[in-house]
Amino acid sequence: MSIFITYGGLITPLGKTIEENFNQMIQGNSGVTIIPKSGFNNEDWPLGRIKEIQDENRYNRLLTDLCDSLINNHGKSIFQEEKTLVIVSSTKADIDALPNDTFESTRTILKDKLHLKNKIRIISNACISGVLAINTAADYLNSDKFDTVVVIGIDALSDFIVYGFQSLFALSNEPSRPFDKDRKGICIGEAAGCLIITKKQLNDHFSVNYLGGSSSNDANHISGPSRTGEGLFRSINKTIERAKVNKSDIDFISAHGTGTNYNDEMESIAFDRLGLNEVPLNSLKGYFGHTLGAAGIIEVISSMKMMEHNTVLKSIGFDEQGTSMKINVLKSNHKQPTNTVLKTASGFGGGNASLILKSIK
Amino acid sequence: MKLVASCKVNKQGVFLNSELITGTQTSEPNWTKELYTKSGKEYPKFYKMDALAKLAFLAFSFFEGNLNTEKFADDDITLLFANSSSSKTTDLKYIQSYTEKGSPSPSLFVYTLPNILTGELSILNKWYGENIFFIEEKFDPEFYLEQINFYFSKGAKAVLAGWVESNDSNEECILFFIENNGDKITKEELTNLYKS
Repeated sequence: MSIFITYGGLITPLGKTIEENFNQMIQGNSGVTIIPKSGFNNEDWPLGRIKEIQDENRYNRLLTDLCDSLINNHGKSIFQEEKTLVIVSSTKADIDALPNDTFESTRTILKDKLHLKNKIRIISNACISGVLAINTAADYLNSDKFDTVVVIGIDALSDFIVYGFQSLFALSNEPSRPFDKDRKGICIGEAAGCLIITKKQLNDHFSVNYLGGSSSNDANHISGPSRTGEGLFRSINKTIERAKVNKSDIDFISAHGTGTNYNDEMESIAFDRLGLNEVPLNSLKGYFGHTLGAAGIIEVISSMKMMEHNTVLKSIGFDEQGTSMKINVLKSNHKQPTNTVLKTASGFGGGNASLILKSIK
Repeated sequence: MKLVASCKVNKQGVFLNSELITGTQTSEPNWTKELYTKSGKEYPKFYKMDALAKLAFLAFSFFEGNLNTEKFADDDITLLFANSSSSKTTDLKYIQSYTEKGSPSPSLFVYTLPNILTGELSILNKWYGENIFFIEEKFDPEFYLEQINFYFSKGAKAVLAGWVESNDSNEECILFFIENNGDKITKEELTNLYKS
């Protein structure tokens, strides 16, 4: 059975539509800006903050706006079908709701806006949630339980998250520079993205095939990446096997690349062990910041845009190799066949996940 | 699918395959420490874990002897977990660290993700298999059966499934270990395990 992935919607600091976002990206613009007094001690951290959202519940507003754009792009009926499932990927959802249920508003907003027939599924598995959500969507389609799975990745900026990464000394005081020798850490961002995953190709929409995916735990440390890249290495191997492609088929890698020393080093080791050193690669964290539960989804959307245009985008902030293993991090945009794409993610809890997309000829 | 064993842990004690095998005597909040002592395990990391990871560690410790996991390769076992209140207990403690106690605590922050417990179990066992954590409104046997089937169809040989909850009204964990061998498990069986 073939599985098709189509754009749903995308809201980030760079724009409110997929077109707006890609137009900014292709010009090399970043959504990361200095946000005064965003730190615990009033530090001015660079963050991927959506300016239009002011004094209101950021998460609920973001989810509501995404629903509006989904209806705008696809109409209402696809969401109301008996055989449509929605899967949400989020790490903290509506964190401001504490001590009440932080996931309650997710269920309510989606039900009210999209008039869903089925209860939603929520995946909260740190920074690999988005890739896991897409892999799970494929499971549901393969099992014939649903014809359409709508996958939403979303996380909003909060003091909770910014202070947390600050306490770990993981924040960068300049826009993040994944894989660069002068990288200083993460910039946190916020975004909502959506993919529509189906058994039949949707008419009048660009789509790609999903070929396979998997996850693997490092079994090493809860907040530090493996020094050998073991989990990522295993996940990519398994994904390649499930997708029935050869390593040499991979045209492009959308890596995780957070901009921390340990994470980016780990990824370079895993790619090196797999012999993927020469494959053009980027991290999109320089464009959006690290958007946690949204990251996997918005990076797949962006990768699909690159496939649509056969153009791979540079990894913003990368200038000089800063990992022990040589990998082919893109310093400029360029045209190239972009038919088979590997997407990877790694996160706290030792999780790693990956998937492979393929252009439809 | 074959249900190999189940283990439930709550304030009353430890229930192995629905039978109470160890009760608790100390009143909260020390009952997890009491069960840790009774488990006979030497795993100092236990003291660093948050409530969710402690519960999962305890339930696993009391039933691992029944699992015969040695026959599996190190990536044959999928960890499938869910709860309804995510990492709420730790989230609230972490917020307190910066609103009341001076500064955000990194050691609490790293546990503000429910899936950290799957990392702890993977480290404990040196398991490199697939992991996934869902947020569900309540324990739903159909959900587990559906997901377990997905992972078996992708090649997992066994699934360690769990429901682990820590919030103001409830602290509980139920683990069940299921092998892929053709038999059927019913919704009722899983519901009974959870309720008993």
